Amino acid sequence: MAAHPDSGRTTEQIVSQFLSKALHAILAARIPYIHGSTPPPSRHPRKRDRWFHLALGDPPPALEHPSGLIPNGVMEPLVVDILLTPRDDPTMPEAIVERWLAQCEAPAPWSPLHSPAETSSNSFLVKRTYKKSIILLRSIYSVLRLLPAQRVFKMLCASNQSYNYDLTYRVSSFAEPFSRKEEAEFQYHCFSPVETQSGQLAVSVLYRPNLSQFNLEISSLLPPMLITDYVGSPAADPMRAFPASPSERIGSRSSTSFPLRGSQHGQPSTSAPASAPLLFNRPHSWTGAPSEGPSNRAQPPHHPPTGSFYRKSAFNFDEFKFSPPFYMSPTPSPPKFSGSYMQSPLRAETAPVSIPQSGMSKVKGLRSPNLSDPTRNFLPPPSPRSVRTTDPSSQDSFRRPDGLRNSDGYSNVYGTPKGLKDGRDDSGRFSLSGSPRFTFSRSSSRISVPDDLDDPDFSYPFAVDDVDSSDSQARSNDGKEASDFGHASSSHKSQDAAVGVLVHMLRTAAPLRDSTYSSQSSKSELQEEGLGSTSSFFMSRKASDALEELQSYKSIKEMLLSQSKGKLH
Amino acid sequence: MNCEVCELKELVVEQFEVREVLRCILHTIIFHRALGLVRPRDINCELFELTYVQCGVPEVEKEIEEKITEFISKVSKHPNRTSQICLSFYETKDKQSAWFSSKTERVYWERWFINLQIINQRVHMKPNQTKIGFDPGENSFSLEEKKLRRTALEASIRENLFQIIKFVNEKMDHLPHIPPNVEGISYPYEIAILSSSESSLDMLKRMLQTGHQTTLS
Repeated sequence: MAAHPDSGRTTEQIVSQFLSKALHAILAARIPYIHGSTPPPSRHPRKRDRWFHLALGDPPPALEHPSGLIPNGVMEPLVVDILLTPRDDPTMPEAIVERWLAQCEAPAPWSPLHSPAETSSNSFLVKRTYKKSIILLRSIYSVLRLLPAQRVFKMLCASNQSYNYDLTYRVSSFAEPFSRKEEAEFQYHCFSPVETQSGQLAVSVLYRPNLSQFNLEISSLLPPMLITDYVGSPAADPMRAFPASPSERIGSRSSTSFPLRGSQHGQPSTSAPASAPLLFNRPHSWTGAPSEGPSNRAQPPHHPPTGSFYRKSAFNFDEFKFSPPFYMSPTPSPPKFSGSYMQSPLRAETAPVSIPQSGMSKVKGLRSPNLSDPTRNFLPPPSPRSVRTTDPSSQDSFRRPDGLRNSDGYSNVYGTPKGLKDGRDDSGRFSLSGSPRFTFSRSSSRISVPDDLDDPDFSYPFAVDDVDSSDSQARSNDGKEASDFGHASSSHKSQDAAVGVLVHMLRTAAPLRDSTYSSQSSKSELQEEGLGSTSSFFMSRKASDALEELQSYKSIKEMLLSQSKGKLH
Repeated sequence: MNCEVCELKELVVEQFEVREVLRCILHTIIFHRALGLVRPRDINCELFELTYVQCGVPEVEKEIEEKITEFISKVSKHPNRTSQICLSFYETKDKQSAWFSSKTERVYWERWFINLQIINQRVHMKPNQTKIGFDPGENSFSLEEKKLRRTALEASIRENLFQIIKFVNEKMDHLPHIPPNVEGISYPYEIAILSSSESSLDMLKRMLQTGHQTTLS
């Protein structure tokens, strides 16, 4: 429709555009992520927005050519079914929660509209039709927000966890009749029809007033999403390069990377311009960018949270994946905080993980600053709030609690959206899953993660950072790991991680001065020659250890203070 | 021109709920009457499980907030009374009263009356109950009562919103012509706070006599 909406329009154009726009409004308010992971940018209203004076933004890709969804012209009814589709159990039937029906009913033979009108009144009728269509569309837009399915839509959009149901849709020109029993479960809302020269434009909706029967609940955690920009990313610090593609990581001891993930529509969800492709392959990256969601009151609900929100998931999962030393390394004093710290936020989500120790020992940065126990390996634990999601696909290698579906079933449900291919069949049936953005990432992550774990050269991204972060501070042998760690915990580690490291060091550090030994040491000081060289040597060794540790603590403290000052400013 | 009047169902609200309720209703009405090009914004109520739509015009939001603040300050002086807000849409016409003078007058073509009964929050505690020794049964009953009241209010608000939508759908013929190439508000409007002693009928009479409505201060 090339005509400008406010001039030279015909009744058929008005009806056709109305149906298209109504469909756009319905899908945008009911199907999560219909626009993909990247919300359409707000921009100056285009010609399409000016129709009915309601700027809804760019239509979703499925509606780019609405004629494909409304193939039979404006006189055929447009039936839009909104369905709750079970995600975990494909055998369970999907249920229609709303049925929108819009059609232009031909006027009755006795209706004054049936007889051809004079040209002068045509213009008046068209203007009146257009004005009323504007109001009708506004009403549809408002009613969409008042119906019970809106709450489901908000839940699916807002949460970073997946539910046991998805909202999908089906567009056709034929409404499959409900049985009497089914019809009794629906309520009916009818909008006042708008008279047009082609007939009466009527819109109605059948909706379920109560959706509690569907028992919407969290089913499993979302797979990690790719985070393309994060604090300390190579974009911010080019010196810290990560491998840009999976091929680069083969044979390298650098951090793992996952194949390219993104929205189904191929747009990287990042605000970083030039370095986006490089960053896009680093799922372990994390951004501190605030996320959006329906809790953001200024955004339409059909705009999903930004990629940054989901990029957190990717980071968190990978940190979790790389932090198993807490469960693996024998330590003289068991790291109490690590076990509980790691397990408590995750208890409801995943089981402890075992990671091959061989990969860990090869990474320099993992060595404890305490040389007395070289097997004491640790990594900075992830921050508590960030460890919330894991990739269900990778949980094949983890021990997952019951109730979480396996990755096969998950990827099957989130397979390639068939609707895009089936959308143009004869029935006009069009069905897309409620979260098409998962398609590409799910299967690829499922393949890649086990391979990474089996890689003998597997190493941790943070370990690479630790290794790669060369600093100007002198590296004595005794203080090497401490200063390495102290400066490795630089800007790209979160403050929480640094605090966790410090706490762990404090807990696992050997006592500076043993109470029983202190008396002995004092005696040895008084009777220096009597005790012999061994105890004095042992004493001095303890003091040197203590000094090393004190220096490392000081460096960590300075780093934390500088970080906090940097954030304040 | 006919002046269509819509009297919305009375809502019983507590003082802290007034702002949210009025935002919901006023913005919904204006969204259906701001027939210029708008980029709608969905707003989730903080106090209720409701989502309403704003037309996205900052001036409108600002004016509504100011009027709500004014209303709240008035009703706080006179609690436990029914108060009304009137949202009116009008056209300005030049009325030539004499040969060399003319004045503009407002011709109202639609009025919305929003009725609120403001109640004080009740505290269900007996005088002899201390903070430590309160009866949990009594406290839980008051919480349950509040929850029920909140649910009922939410349903009433939803009913009011559907009433608005039904009205705007049914009554379209009295709407003036939409100015071309207009963005946002297409018709001028005003928001008036009625005194609690004055009913809508009294107000209509007064307006017919004076010819225009001035906002009560």
